[in-house]
Amino acid sequence: MENMIGIIMAIVAASIATVLAGIGSVKGVGGAAQASMGVLSEDSSKFGKMLVLTLLPGTQGLYGFIVGFLILINCGVLGGDIPTLGQGIAFVGASLAIGFGGMLSGFAQGKAAISGIAMTAKDEKNFSKAMVSITLVEIYALLAFIVSLLVVISVPNLK
Amino acid sequence: MKSVRIIALKKDRKRLLEHLQDSALVQVKKGKQVSEGFQRIDKSPQIKQFERNAEITEQALNILKKLSPEKKGLLASFKGRKEIDPDEIGRIAAESAKILGVCQKIITLEKQRADYAAEQIRIRTSLAQLEPWKKLDIPLNTKDTPTTAVLIGTLPKAYDDITLSEALATECPDLVFEFEILHTSATMTCVVLFAPKKQRELAEKSLRTLGFSQPINPTSRTPQVKSKRLQDKSDDLRRKDEEAEQEIIRLTEYREKICNTQDYFELRIEKYKVISELDQTGHVFVLNGYVPEEDCAKLQAVCEKAATCVVEFEDADEDAPIKLKNNRFAEPAQSIVTMYSTPSHADIDPTPVLAFFFYFFFGMMFSDAGYGLLMIIVTTILLKVFKPDKAMRNNLRLFRNCGIFTVFWGLVFGSIFGDAPAMFYKMFTGNEITMKELLPWPILDTQKDALMIMILSIALGLVHILVGMGCKFYVCMKQKEYAKAFFDTGFWMLLLCGFAVLAAGMAAGQIVIYIGAGISIAAAVGLILTQGRGKKGIFGKLIGGVASLYDITSYISDLLSYSRLLALGLTTGVMAQVFNMLSTLFGTSIPGIIFMIVIFVAGHLITIGLNALGSYVHTMRLQYVEMFSKFYEGGGKPFEPFSVKSKSFKTKGSNDD
Repeated sequence: MENMIGIIMAIVAASIATVLAGIGSVKGVGGAAQASMGVLSEDSSKFGKMLVLTLLPGTQGLYGFIVGFLILINCGVLGGDIPTLGQGIAFVGASLAIGFGGMLSGFAQGKAAISGIAMTAKDEKNFSKAMVSITLVEIYALLAFIVSLLVVISVPNLK
Repeated sequence: MKSVRIIALKKDRKRLLEHLQDSALVQVKKGKQVSEGFQRIDKSPQIKQFERNAEITEQALNILKKLSPEKKGLLASFKGRKEIDPDEIGRIAAESAKILGVCQKIITLEKQRADYAAEQIRIRTSLAQLEPWKKLDIPLNTKDTPTTAVLIGTLPKAYDDITLSEALATECPDLVFEFEILHTSATMTCVVLFAPKKQRELAEKSLRTLGFSQPINPTSRTPQVKSKRLQDKSDDLRRKDEEAEQEIIRLTEYREKICNTQDYFELRIEKYKVISELDQTGHVFVLNGYVPEEDCAKLQAVCEKAATCVVEFEDADEDAPIKLKNNRFAEPAQSIVTMYSTPSHADIDPTPVLAFFFYFFFGMMFSDAGYGLLMIIVTTILLKVFKPDKAMRNNLRLFRNCGIFTVFWGLVFGSIFGDAPAMFYKMFTGNEITMKELLPWPILDTQKDALMIMILSIALGLVHILVGMGCKFYVCMKQKEYAKAFFDTGFWMLLLCGFAVLAAGMAAGQIVIYIGAGISIAAAVGLILTQGRGKKGIFGKLIGGVASLYDITSYISDLLSYSRLLALGLTTGVMAQVFNMLSTLFGTSIPGIIFMIVIFVAGHLITIGLNALGSYVHTMRLQYVEMFSKFYEGGGKPFEPFSVKSKSFKTKGSNDD
């Protein structure tokens, strides 16, 4: 049991990263998808552009998943050594960054995406502006992701 | 861009304009004041007429599309317009009246079908009204006989024989009656009531208190016969409707001709609009326009071949439109620039710079040799097989060029469909191997060397930003605003370089740190001394100078933004790795191999879809937000030549392609 605690912590960490960031994307993409379907019911020829705008808040979930995956291949589940308790807690700490960063930025980016969809529906020329504006939010998810990532890949070397 | 004035004889007007339209070399100046001694000819009635005709063809095409949709392949949208000989347009013009007739016929037929459909609804309503009277074997409007009153109608309640006679008896005990209930439902009872003729009023009165009402539009035939007739009429209409539909579908063979004719009408509209802009006298007309500098000679040749004319060129004014001209490498990225904004006269064309960094960063984010190779192969095939039009061709070339850099970065990061080679090696031999060991060249592992790649990303970002600022420097120098060039841009560039040297010094050694610090401090002092130069008083100048150093935060956030190069590159790699891992789950048995192929293909398709989108969006953002903000103004007008703006054909040798 004792040597299991580290790995259990790591698994919790993987779940935190994947699920919390996923929640952000789920809400963001869900809202954006509703908005874009509203637009598509009027004009289905905008599908391509709407798809792009809808998918933009989807990356947070992906980042969370990647951190989760990297934890799993470093903690003895899919490879790597069984972590100590300290290392397990370090994994949890790392996962919090992308978990919360991804979730909250996903909410915000979803809202931005809905506005971008409304803007593109009015005039398709606004598409690239909408796209760039929506991506402005994403940098914060990316920063959280990079912090999580840098910690996760260095945890196996922590003693 | 040059201004051009073409003066020609009026008798050559048609021929000359046709040639100009075909060649698509010149943009006609619009909304220009008419010169003295000239007049304009108002062609708006003709334009209206052609617009109406174009509208008719559009309607006809929509009807055809609804009734017999064109069978298009999945990849048909890549296909370019058909190329036709310029003389073909004459033939299309000659046929246009006939084709317009066909269009009108289609519209008339469709209108008839709408009428039939409305009539069908009316019949259906009548039939539904007759339905409860089916059992009645006398006409609904049967009159009284000499001795007996006949009352046919409905009561708004459910009755059966007993309850109805009870109700009538209570209402009027004196009434003698006989009745037959034909239909009962919860809200309605259809009834025929017979009473002695002299009691008719009494019967009517008592029935009225029960809520009796006579049927609407009674007929002189029995309900059976009537509904049979309606049914026949309905069948007849259905047949006619089918005939009309068949007729329209038969006319589908004209679809291509209708498309061509529509284009022809659009072409005429465009031409008449130009004629409305011409300065004319009794015998001569003058066309004012813009022509790209490199096309001047070509334009002169076209004009002189077509008509007796004088062509004069002069330098263009401020309002002149902008035509981007780039080499094969950079041209595909023009659409990325124009999506943001067409450059103004004050700008330099940012396309070459943008093109390189766009491909480069896209490659770094997508970073997989396998995917890059797929991109190159698919786009090349599409380009060769479908010969797409200019816009689509440029998009495909854009992705092909991105693909080349994707292969490059894939090889640097050691990623070929993720870690597929290592995975298969392990699957079939059972020996663990990493991509690093497998590939003969040194690679940067996105997972193990993440920190290294992050530094690389930010360093590349610094280069990108410095190039952007260099463009600003160049633009300022060109406009002779030396203070702006050296103080506002030069010092910042120097400061950023100083920081870069400083950072490099941390690895290289003490002496480099001193050099870096020296450059930084010199640049910072320069900024403090110069940035407040617009302010009044020595204090104002000093405070303005110091405050400007605060801008360093925006540069730092710009630089950090490039860490997305690492993040997205890693995302691609890891997703691919995940699917590779899933695909090898069931080992090397036959079902395992089948499972592997399915998961491998589907998984990598998902990875490509998601990550290509991400890479495209994020590299675009890096160009627009991080680099363009350093120097690019935009706001110019794009060059839109007088041309054949056709949807379905293009003329051979025309310039618009």
